[in-house]
Amino acid sequence: MSTQVNQVRSRVPRVAGAAVERARLTLVPRARRPGTRVPFVVLVSLLLLGGIGGLLCFNTSMQQASFTATALESRAQSLNARRQGLQMQVDSLRDPQRVALEARRLGMVPAADPAFIRLGDGKVLGKAVPATGLDAVRLTPLPTRKPRDLRTRTVKVRAEVSAKKQAADGAAAAAPAGQTGTKKSHVR
Amino acid sequence: MSQGSRPRPAVRRRRARARRGTSLLRLRIGFILIAMVLSVFAVRLFQLQGVDAAAYVAKARAEGVVTVTLPATRGTITDRNGVALADSVDGLMLVADPTLTTRHASQIATIIAHRLHLDYFDLLQRLRRSGTHFQYLARRIPATRATAVLTAIEKRGFTGVYTRRDPVRSYPAKDVAANLVGFTNAMGQAGEGAELMFDKSLAGRDGRATYEVGGGNRIPLGDNSTVPPHSGSDLRLTIDRDVQWYTQRVLRDAVEHANGLSGAAVVMDTHTGQLLAVADYPTFDANNPTASPDSDLGTRALRDVYEPGSVMKVLTTAALLDAGKVTPRTKIVVPPTLPSSDHVIHDDIAHGTLHLTLAGALAKSSNIGTALAARQFTPRQLYDYLHRFGLGQTTNLGVNGEAAGVLADPSTWMQIRQDNIAFGQGVSVNAVQMAAAVNTIANGGVYVAPSIVKGRARTNSGQVVGSDTTTEHRVVSRRAAAQETRMMETVTMPGGTAPNTAISGYLLAGKTGTAQRIGPKCHCYDGSRTVSFVGFAPADKPRFLVYAVVQRPRNGGFGATVAGPVVDDVMKYVLQKYAVPPTGRSVPKLPLTW
Repeated sequence: MSTQVNQVRSRVPRVAGAAVERARLTLVPRARRPGTRVPFVVLVSLLLLGGIGGLLCFNTSMQQASFTATALESRAQSLNARRQGLQMQVDSLRDPQRVALEARRLGMVPAADPAFIRLGDGKVLGKAVPATGLDAVRLTPLPTRKPRDLRTRTVKVRAEVSAKKQAADGAAAAAPAGQTGTKKSHVR
Repeated sequence: MSQGSRPRPAVRRRRARARRGTSLLRLRIGFILIAMVLSVFAVRLFQLQGVDAAAYVAKARAEGVVTVTLPATRGTITDRNGVALADSVDGLMLVADPTLTTRHASQIATIIAHRLHLDYFDLLQRLRRSGTHFQYLARRIPATRATAVLTAIEKRGFTGVYTRRDPVRSYPAKDVAANLVGFTNAMGQAGEGAELMFDKSLAGRDGRATYEVGGGNRIPLGDNSTVPPHSGSDLRLTIDRDVQWYTQRVLRDAVEHANGLSGAAVVMDTHTGQLLAVADYPTFDANNPTASPDSDLGTRALRDVYEPGSVMKVLTTAALLDAGKVTPRTKIVVPPTLPSSDHVIHDDIAHGTLHLTLAGALAKSSNIGTALAARQFTPRQLYDYLHRFGLGQTTNLGVNGEAAGVLADPSTWMQIRQDNIAFGQGVSVNAVQMAAAVNTIANGGVYVAPSIVKGRARTNSGQVVGSDTTTEHRVVSRRAAAQETRMMETVTMPGGTAPNTAISGYLLAGKTGTAQRIGPKCHCYDGSRTVSFVGFAPADKPRFLVYAVVQRPRNGGFGATVAGPVVDDVMKYVLQKYAVPPTGRSVPKLPLTW
């Protein structure tokens, strides 16, 4: 068997000797030298640099934006606080108690019985009466009462001298309290 | 240098080898050492990366990560016109670290005391306190002022004073409607009134923001997450702040001058049942609730019950009219006294035998006359009417701690109990309840449940209340209500018990009440009184009902003289404010006697 195989092998070159001879590898003539690599390297480097630079710029601008955001936020906060402060001030100025006290200072009192003017025919509905001091409503609480021990007590002492005088002078002398030694009370 | 003086190199090498062992041995020892060191590194690496990784990550994050609570804004409580009664403001507190401030305490105290109007010596003491790193200097200051103070302090180069968030709940009208609005305590928690009633819906939900910071600025692209806060919903009351203010002032004046214990006044819109004012005296300043005793912090108009006295006659006679048992002209013979069970009923003013009509019994407020007329009812009938007038049950306001009052079961009524209830003794009510009951007459016989919240709102207990959910039911016929109104008009006319309350040009239907009051010590009628007055106007086309009650007046005053002027003044005010013109109808002629 092995002899047969050898025979086949030795026969091949003989059959296609010329073709095999032609197909034998030879050195390809040297191709033209490719163009310089510089543009490519420059391009890549530029891309790299551009990327890094861009990233840096982007980062910086973001950072900058963050600063601005923080600043604006704190500004918004302080403005809001200011608005609220002013609102509080307005509220306290609108307090009905304050307005009423201010009105009282100007000599105003609540109206007496309500009356209206009908604009259609100018008729007065109700009885229009000018308000007087009697219509005023007390706006502040009464002063706190003193404790019992601190209140001034009224002690009436009949003066002996005036007793005789009173008889002589009649009713006229009876009136003044000072003569009878009365201490004026401070209790309301 | 001669070689001979030194040992030859080979000898030297041999000696060294003997000292250090063979190279193989050295190599092994070296490897073992290296392996030991490396294994220590490996273990440490494993520990860092494997075991404790999470903890270290958290630590690293904590270094630059800030978590801020985004506080929810508490809802505003306003009156019916949108005027704020309770408002939330960003506030700050000033705190100090005394270990840092002791040195410059006097200068710092001067700045703060001057700018915030605080006590200098108190501040000085706090700034110098030893053994602590934390002291409150001032609380709940509007943010602008706190920051200004801090800037001033830092400008002078002092350290140790800081600000912290401290939300301020401001009550711009102070004591006006404080009894209804309530207050929040120093921790910002609801303490009373509507603040507590509607705390859940007012409070909202706090949010949270987490982000990384570097040098005080947020790091862009760093970890951050935000949970936005949900602001609380606003609450609108039916109260009119100006009417409430005026009512409170008039009431205070009346109680003070009568030297009374306390007082309450209610202003109600006749048709809608909305309460325009619920005034109490004494009351408190909502900005400073701790300055008032606890007993003043609630609303007496709803929590205190008392025996209403003669105002009850309005309900009794209206029920009689509705049942067709009487007319305003029904003739009643009123004896000087009326025996009832084993008691004797008297009238306020001793009299001989009188010949009064039903209208006369009401106008002159005759206990005997009313009791006699009411004897035509069985206890059950009278009870049913009074129950439908809303007595013995809470109004549907949803206010915490509202008292239902007492209307005993009719099966327990003896003759004396029925007679007493007919003229308002032996039965107890709260002021709003009584106002709503009498308002039934003003509203043409239809009871309308009072409301204090405009629109609707859910209370903490889940109850939905408000003017949108108000209920109505008919108690007496329109005709009976109209007749009752005519009779009530005679009360404010000459011949009635309160001619002083007339408003010229208007018809005012009213009723006085002077009741015996149960004293707190003996739990019996101790001789003190509860005086009250109810009125609605214009009587022939009612718009408003005003009810005032003063407990224990000590000036000998009656319903007409103490509570009457309160109703009169407040009624004039609301009629003007809401531009209700007089109807111009003439005075009715109802006979009072026969």
